[in-house]
Amino acid sequence: MPHTLTPHIDVRNLDKTYKNKSVLKKVCLDFFEGELTAVIGRSGCGKSTLLKCLNGLERIDSGSIRVGNVFLDRNADQKHEERTSALRRNFGMVFQGFNLFPHLTILENLIKAPMVVKKLRRSEASAIAIPLLEKVGLLSHIDYYPSQLSGGQQQRAAIARALAMAPKVMLYDEPTSALDPWLSDEVFAVMRQIAAERMTQIVVTHELRFVREFADKVIFIEDGEVVEIGSPTELFEAPQDERTRRFLKR
Amino acid sequence: MTNVFPVVLLGFLSVLSSQSLATAGTLRWGGDASGGAPYLLLDPKNPEKIIGFEVEIAEAIARELGLQAQFYQNQWDKLIPGLKRKNYDIVINGIEITEERKAEVEFSKPYFYTYEQLTVKKNTDTIHEWADLAGKRVGSLKDSFAERMLKEHPGKVHVAGYEEQTTIYADLGYDRLDAVLLDQPIALYYGSLDPNLKNLDTHFGHVSYGICVRKGDFELLRQINDALTKLLASGELRAIYERWGLWNEELATRFHDPAPSHLIPSELNAYRESFQHHSDFQSRVEHYKTYVPLLAKGAIVTLQLSSVAMFFAVLLGLLLALVRLYAPRAIAACAFGFVELVRGTPLLIQLFLIYYGLPNVGIKLDPFTAAIIGLALNYGAYESEIYRAGILAIPHSQLETALALGLNRWQALFHIIIPQAIRIVVPPMTNDFISLLKDSSLVSVITLVELTRVYGQLAAASYDYFGVGILTAILYFVMGVPFVRLSRWIERRFSFESYLPRTIR
Ligand SMILES: Nc1ncnc2c1ncn2[C@@H]1O[C@H](COP(=O)(O)OP(=O)(O)OP(=O)(O)O)[C@@H](O)[C@H]1O
Ligand SMILES: [Mg+2]
Repeated sequence: MPHTLTPHIDVRNLDKTYKNKSVLKKVCLDFFEGELTAVIGRSGCGKSTLLKCLNGLERIDSGSIRVGNVFLDRNADQKHEERTSALRRNFGMVFQGFNLFPHLTILENLIKAPMVVKKLRRSEASAIAIPLLEKVGLLSHIDYYPSQLSGGQQQRAAIARALAMAPKVMLYDEPTSALDPWLSDEVFAVMRQIAAERMTQIVVTHELRFVREFADKVIFIEDGEVVEIGSPTELFEAPQDERTRRFLKR
Repeated sequence: MTNVFPVVLLGFLSVLSSQSLATAGTLRWGGDASGGAPYLLLDPKNPEKIIGFEVEIAEAIARELGLQAQFYQNQWDKLIPGLKRKNYDIVINGIEITEERKAEVEFSKPYFYTYEQLTVKKNTDTIHEWADLAGKRVGSLKDSFAERMLKEHPGKVHVAGYEEQTTIYADLGYDRLDAVLLDQPIALYYGSLDPNLKNLDTHFGHVSYGICVRKGDFELLRQINDALTKLLASGELRAIYERWGLWNEELATRFHDPAPSHLIPSELNAYRESFQHHSDFQSRVEHYKTYVPLLAKGAIVTLQLSSVAMFFAVLLGLLLALVRLYAPRAIAACAFGFVELVRGTPLLIQLFLIYYGLPNVGIKLDPFTAAIIGLALNYGAYESEIYRAGILAIPHSQLETALALGLNRWQALFHIIIPQAIRIVVPPMTNDFISLLKDSSLVSVITLVELTRVYGQLAAASYDYFGVGILTAILYFVMGVPFVRLSRWIERRFSFESYLPRTIR
């Protein structure tokens, strides 16, 4: 797989502790432009925490994160807030529970952040939103409220909502765990389409079938430590670490 | 917002505040029109007018002084605090001259002498003498001379202190009391209205009423005493008493005027008559119609008070809720302390402190402003808890998602969290508003004449608590309806679950 030499995102010695409980330990990772990286591991190993640290939803305890030319570490000076939001602008995030805003229609869900954050006019924001809704197959549901959509439709809307802010990297936290296999496929199809457009994507998932087929790279985490990194073939066919083998066997 | 807010507040209040300041050439006198006949009452024939022998005295004195008498309403037991606060310059309202009161105000020389009179049920023959009251339940007015006499009775008398004289006789009629002891004029007017009651002939004690003037206001006191002397000499005072049927032996002795009465007690007769021709339904309804303008006026005050107070309560509540949820711990703790303090103390006392207490530290608010502040502080504290609960009811993931989309905390709050919380808080808010509408009746302690106060005055004048009570209750109910409507509309407007997409509609 050809990629630029400097990674799009690098994470160095990242530590995260919740009330004396060490959740991420000296995590070092590189993510490359245009790649789809899957993060796998047992429940509670720290996958969600990793994503939240990446886009600044959780404060890191030590180490650093760099995305493009934005650099963030533990340092809490006056510029910290500013740098956190600069960092966050790079990411779009998709959650396991969709988290659409229930009081807004699908279109309003998409245009809210562009209007509030980027101060776009309604028409400008809609001009961005409508092609995205078309892309995820929801053009006919523009005026529906989230509660009137199926889970798969909701998650596709949530992806479109994240894309509406034109992020450089998409983060997905178990985007299909709440969906049955058919609906999951709808969502994966959208992610493949985004991959085809060479956007950097990081996916936390338990769907190894999807990881095997479409990930460029797989990261296996256990107890807050990065155990193994490799292509799906390397990791699934010839796992190097005993812990990886035990995880894959179940 | 911080700069505009106080300006808006003041603007609002000055527009709505109806209390005007003292104008030159007026004699500002205080009294309580819910006290009733024969002192000071709404004219049963024309409830927009106040009548009473004290109204006539006030006007006579004003005339002597070359002034225009201007009446100021206040609750009877707050008349002296209101005088000290300079709401008015004198009080004429059956205030008995006592040593305690002399310590607080200057008294004119007595303008009226009377005695206490017992009223019992017609069929009672166990009560004739003072001693017979032992062990009996006897009603009187709170803080009155009669009440004190009863409390000093050597036999154990169960003394019931009432706010309003008219209700005392009603309770006697219902056998909740064995006897009523009150000043003779009251007994004369109310004790004889119910045919089942009788006034005993025996006189007890000596009572003298004086006009109250603020301590140190010697010039005014002198003028009033001079005026009284003139009115007495000219026979004008006596004429007032005779027309009201109040000339008695006590007055004859004290004023050295033994001549027999020669005027017809026209006012007393008119008062009694006003009850007789409302006995049938038709004329009653006609009569109630005459109350409507006055009740409507009271209702408007109630509505103004409640709406303005609620407006500020909502703002304050929102601010307190946000501070408690998101401000640094120390500031949040202050907000918590404020909420607890306000919720934990009675509104009545807060109003009293704001209106009568603050002038001691140099802050003198007009009654409307004081009422708004009291009600808004109180309801703001309650609202803040509702808003806090509403905001907390929105899942944390909504905030997290908004932040992940690049909104800052405030933007997330105003665009994502609060719009969802509104739906949750509207029903309890409506509850509060309706309860505020009714709580606003407490502000009559600070001289505002709102709906409940008008009710008290009309009921006292007409001796008809039931009919006027139902009218008043209906008015409160009707005032609440638009807010219930509005609340339903808001609920529907924000209830996204029940929304149909436009394509389906
Ligand atoms: N806010 C928090 N406070 C305290 N502990 C937390 C918090 N969030 C997560 N943890 C703990 O950190 C650890 C890692 O949590 P995380 O959510 O990252 O796991 P995960 O790998 O995403 O698991 P899952 O697959 O179940 O989603 C868990 O043990 C969890 O209990
Ligand atoms: Mg997780």
